[in-house]
Amino acid sequence: MKASARLVVSLDSHGNSVVRVLRSMTPLTLVPHRRVGPVALVHLVSSVTAPLGGDSLSLTVEVGPGASLELRGVAATLLLPGSSGAVSSSVVRFLVEGTVSYLPEPTVVTSRARHTAVVEAELDGHAQLRTREVLVLGRADEKPGTLSSTVRATRCGKPLLHQQLVVGDPSVDASSAGLAGKRVVGTEVVLDSVERGSDGGEWWSVVPLAAGGTLATALGDDVVTVTRVLDAI
Amino acid sequence: MLTALILADSRFPGGGHVHSGGLEEAAARGLVVDEPSLRSFLHGRLLGAGLLAAGFAAAAARGEDLDLLDAELDARTPSPAQRSASRAQGRGMLRAARRAWPSARLEALPRDPHQPLVIGVLVGEAYEAALTCAYLAVSGPASAAVRLLGLDPFGVNAIVASLAVEDVASQACKELPALGSPALDLLAEAHVRREGVRLFGS
Repeated sequence: MKASARLVVSLDSHGNSVVRVLRSMTPLTLVPHRRVGPVALVHLVSSVTAPLGGDSLSLTVEVGPGASLELRGVAATLLLPGSSGAVSSSVVRFLVEGTVSYLPEPTVVTSRARHTAVVEAELDGHAQLRTREVLVLGRADEKPGTLSSTVRATRCGKPLLHQQLVVGDPSVDASSAGLAGKRVVGTEVVLDSVERGSDGGEWWSVVPLAAGGTLATALGDDVVTVTRVLDAI
Repeated sequence: MLTALILADSRFPGGGHVHSGGLEEAAARGLVVDEPSLRSFLHGRLLGAGLLAAGFAAAAARGEDLDLLDAELDARTPSPAQRSASRAQGRGMLRAARRAWPSARLEALPRDPHQPLVIGVLVGEAYEAALTCAYLAVSGPASAAVRLLGLDPFGVNAIVASLAVEDVASQACKELPALGSPALDLLAEAHVRREGVRLFGS
C-alpha cells in the first residue's frame, strides 16, 4: 500500500489555528478536533492495519507563522511483516514556522517486521517542535524484527539533531553499549529556546543539545517507566 | 600510513589514555565484569559510536568542509558528556599534532575540534582515517578494562583483534552515518554525575 497525506495549519485573523488542508489517504487518516482555538488538535488514525511489509507511507505537515498544531496518535503502531518479506517505510515531514507537538503512541517492532521510519523537520528561526518516539522491541516474549528510525531536525538549514536508531540486531541490542538489553527505548526532543539543565538517573537523561533544544532519553523494561521520564519535560 | 600508526599507538601523547569510552561507568555498575561482557560492550561500541566517529574521520580525510562536519557531528552527539569527551580528545590530539605535522588544513579545524575530524585531517586518506578512528573507539576502552577489572591482557587483546574493525571502517566510508548510541550516552551522562573517585575523564 502506498499512501501520502498532507496537513496544513495556519493562523486566522482571530488568532485561531485552523486546518487549511486536510488530505487523508488510507491508512493515514487525519481527524481534526471540532474545537476552535489557539491550538489545532488533529488525531492521526491508522484506518487499516499498517504498516505491513511493502507499505510506503508519507505524511507532510506544514504549520504557518504563529499557528500551533497538536498531532496525536490514538493507538500503538504494530510494525508487521508482509507476505513478501519486503521492507515497509514511513516518512513524516514537518515544515514549521509556528509550533508543532507530534505525540504518536508507542511503536511495537514485531517479529520479522522490516521497517524504515524517518521524521524530518525544517524549522524557521522562531519555530518550535516537540516530538516523541517510544519503541518496543517485540510483543511479550517475542523477538523483534528490524527497524531503522531516523530523526533529522534543522533550524534555518543548520542541523539541530540527527539520530538514527537501529534495533533488531541481537548482539547490539544486548550490548551494554547498544540498548543494554532493555525492551523499550524512548526519546522526546523539544526544539525551542528554553534552557533546561541536565538531569538523569541510571537509565535516563534530559540533556541540552549543542545548537539549542533538549532531548530526553530513557531505556526501560516497560512503556510506563519510559513514558514517565518523557512526560517530565 | 605512518601517521595512522602513530595516532593509533597507545604511546601517542594525545591524552587518550584518560578516557574509557563509557567502560568505567559500565564496570562500576557491574555491566562489564569479564571477557564475554567486555566483548559484548566493545562489539556494541564499535558498531554504534565507532561507526559514527569513523564516518566523520573519513569525511574529513576526503576534504569536506570542517565547520559543516563539526556542526553535523554535534547534531549526532546529543549527550553533552560525549561532546565534551570527543572535543577534549580532539584538543589533546591537535596539541601533539601541531608539533609533529604542522599544516594549513590543521589550522582550518574549528576550535576544540571533535577528535574524528582531527584524525581525518592528519591521516588524509578516507579508509585509513576511518580504520584508525574505529580502532581507537575500542582500543581505549579495552585497555581501560585491563586497568579497571584486572582482566588478562592477552585475552583482552584477542577480543580486540577479533572485532570487525575493518568492516566498520569500510562501511563508514560509504555515507555519513547518524547512528545513535542511547545506552552509551546514558552511561556517559551518569559518569559525569558520579560522585567519588573516577580514574577516567569519560
